[in-house]
Amino acid sequence: MQLNINGGTFEVADGDGLRPLLWVLRDELGLTGTKYGCGAGICGACTVHLDGVAARSCQTPVAQAARASIRTIEGLAQVQPDGSLRLHAVQQAFTDEQVPQCSWCMSGQMMTCAAFLEQNPAASEAQLLDAMQNNYCRCGCYARIRKGVVRAAQLAAQPAGTA
Amino acid sequence: MNAPTPRKWKFSRRKLLIGLGVTGGALAVGLPLALPFARLKIAGMLDSASAPAGTMPKDPFVWFEVTPQNRVRLYLPKAEIGQGVHTALAQIAAEELRPAWEQLEVLNASTARGFEMGTMLVAGSSVVSSLYNPLRAAGAALRLMLEEEGARQLGVAPEQVTVTGGVVAVAADPARALTFGQIVGAKQGAWVASKQVPQLREPAQFEFIGKPMPRVDFAAKITGAAQYGLDVRLPNMAYGAVARPPRMGAKLLSAAPGTARNQPGVVAVVATTEFAGVAAETRAQAVAALDALQLQWSEGDAVEQEAMEALVTVQPGAGTVLQSVGSVAAPLAAANTLRAEYRTPFAAHAHLEPLAALAHVLPDKVQVWCSTQSAGSLRADVAKAVGRRAAEVEVTATYLGGSFGRKLNVDVALDAARLSAAALRPVHVSYTRAEDFQHGFFRPPTHHVLQGALDGNGRIAAISHAQASGNVFPALVGRLLGADFGAYRGGLVRYNIPNRHVTSQPVALPVPTGSWRGLGLLANVFAVESFMDELALAAGSDALEFRLQHLPEGSLGERYKAALLAAAGRAGWGRALPAGHAHGLACSLDAGTVVAQVAEVSVQGARVQVHRFTSAVDCGVLVNPDIAAAQTEGSIMMGISSTLLEEITFSGGQAQATNFDRYPLLRLGDAPLVETVFLQGADVPHGMGEPPLGPVAAAVANAVFACSGQRLRSLPLKLA
Repeated sequence: MQLNINGGTFEVADGDGLRPLLWVLRDELGLTGTKYGCGAGICGACTVHLDGVAARSCQTPVAQAARASIRTIEGLAQVQPDGSLRLHAVQQAFTDEQVPQCSWCMSGQMMTCAAFLEQNPAASEAQLLDAMQNNYCRCGCYARIRKGVVRAAQLAAQPAGTA
Repeated sequence: MNAPTPRKWKFSRRKLLIGLGVTGGALAVGLPLALPFARLKIAGMLDSASAPAGTMPKDPFVWFEVTPQNRVRLYLPKAEIGQGVHTALAQIAAEELRPAWEQLEVLNASTARGFEMGTMLVAGSSVVSSLYNPLRAAGAALRLMLEEEGARQLGVAPEQVTVTGGVVAVAADPARALTFGQIVGAKQGAWVASKQVPQLREPAQFEFIGKPMPRVDFAAKITGAAQYGLDVRLPNMAYGAVARPPRMGAKLLSAAPGTARNQPGVVAVVATTEFAGVAAETRAQAVAALDALQLQWSEGDAVEQEAMEALVTVQPGAGTVLQSVGSVAAPLAAANTLRAEYRTPFAAHAHLEPLAALAHVLPDKVQVWCSTQSAGSLRADVAKAVGRRAAEVEVTATYLGGSFGRKLNVDVALDAARLSAAALRPVHVSYTRAEDFQHGFFRPPTHHVLQGALDGNGRIAAISHAQASGNVFPALVGRLLGADFGAYRGGLVRYNIPNRHVTSQPVALPVPTGSWRGLGLLANVFAVESFMDELALAAGSDALEFRLQHLPEGSLGERYKAALLAAAGRAGWGRALPAGHAHGLACSLDAGTVVAQVAEVSVQGARVQVHRFTSAVDCGVLVNPDIAAAQTEGSIMMGISSTLLEEITFSGGQAQATNFDRYPLLRLGDAPLVETVFLQGADVPHGMGEPPLGPVAAAVANAVFACSGQRLRSLPLKLA
């Protein structure tokens, strides 16, 4: 089975097509930036993009993901021609606002925010915060997540190259 | 070297450059560290209930590695849990070493680095306070060596050079300069400790301490590259799964491999009455093969909720006296007295990264990578589990995806080591969320009986706090003060009241209980500070005025006053609020830090909404104001979650929660706006990881009373 992840093609064993994408990413492909938190679709730590839509990878059978373009936290920043990383607006905003603490939930937070902003560039602040409602943060970074996603929306709205 | 001290280190430049630690030859840095250290230990024990800090190495090359490529690596014995200590400690180290901030790299030291095992522990909000002096001393010692060697290479006397930004320059001719990396690269022979006694910078001179330096761990965390215990991988690694008891207290009566060895992907089976588990090529195969083990469990304890609440109930006359000022007997026997009982429940840590470890047991050594707060004690535990000497075991703490006290005891590393020993391969073991809820330990439940008497002037004549708690540190109960010093944390009455009496009654429960962020802090302050509001009401006083009338004596009273007034002032205490909103106030002292907080709350039906949360914090030297603010914000959110939502209950010998559906956490939409002010404090740093959690539940409960008239005395708060 072939998976299209972050613009590259990865071969994984056919095996059980119902096995969760989360563990295929983490254990079979070594993409450990996507985190396990609950395995039940509650906490949001495992959020990735399937065809640009936020999805809980712990609830996504790998066979279903094989039909989509998959994006993980490792593919959120762009590699520049000189090899350096250009952070996604959400990553830049979360850095600017010093949002994380332990950061275990933050891949999921940022992927949730990035997908929402890409689909809803004109969303209101209330809609944006509502989109973040189902991602737990046990360290309690919520005050800064609010600031971070609002700043991300501002950065994302700027024309490319001016951010 | 002709001076008797300092001694010459017996290591070569090559060893230094590749970063091998030095175990012999200590550097005699002439700082009078011993006395403050002893005091810190004692203060730490009594004020923050933390374990003693151990002796920090004075040899700067245990802490630092300077490379010819001009990188300065700082090795730390303290794990980064998310509390920002790697950044705060880097600031402290940089203050005296004076590198360029950008050339610093912060790494977690393994247990082989040269630190005492007792120092490789994160607990009791003591990391920054316990390392503040040793790390500055180590930085200064290395700077002096680089300064003297740099001067020699520049052909001038040491007095003629300055050090800043990682560059040693001739003061009179700054163009003549060498970087730290150049100095190290050109160094011939052994490094010699400076004979100078370093003069540590005064706070007014601070270049790094006190600045909101950005977190050093975020570049890796933002891109998903950071490695946590659940992320570490080795080539040829297998995955382990472990048989867990069906209920509390159940033990293996017999264990046999059954057909587990023949299951798909299985590479090793261990089946003893001490431990039963499977290692396989994949996590799913390991879990599946557990069913093929032949295991017989003892019945265990069919623990029920009501029975444990009965156990954790204050018994008249029982408990150890922890505070006795004056005599409460007569005033509390008088007419005008108040009595109230409070309860707090079992709670889970609910760190989002479940326990996880990777172990590789080799013929000559054992390597472990683990999300642990306590690499030092884990080394000995792993050695015991696999029958090796501790010196053969190397533990490296990874980043931790939250912990809150849970990852002080990480048996998962022992599981991984046992399976690796059997599989002759590296084995990774991680808990599922259900294992994490069901097979760990919990914050113990507490029960508090508060009694108070007012005098004729509306002041408190006497107060008593009788507390019962499940154990926090069971092994230490009875050995230290005859009480569980974890359980009574925050339970003493600091106010200036002529008659005060506090007792603590440790209770051994049939459920594992232990440390949770702040230990007894949240529960005890909830009880004492709620009761202060009950007494204020009885006295007809405003809650703020009432506390100001009872300020602790001496400098602590000044600190309380400043914090109370700052929090109240910033929150607009006494000013009109939106309809249906009310304020609640509480304060506490923990780990040397004074915190006062005001919650703004509204109540709709059975729902409590916390809108705003204002904190005033006096933590002494503020090493990084942004990280201190983050710790305050996080404590508030975790505290509100615990106050409004969290409760572990038991039925049939199992915790009823197996996932967040039965143990929901606070979410973004329910998080208040937060504001924190920091007060000018002492010239040493105090704790910040836990103290801001102290007043949270009491402040919310006091606000709930103010807007609903319901005095809620049990957590989580449930409106009638």
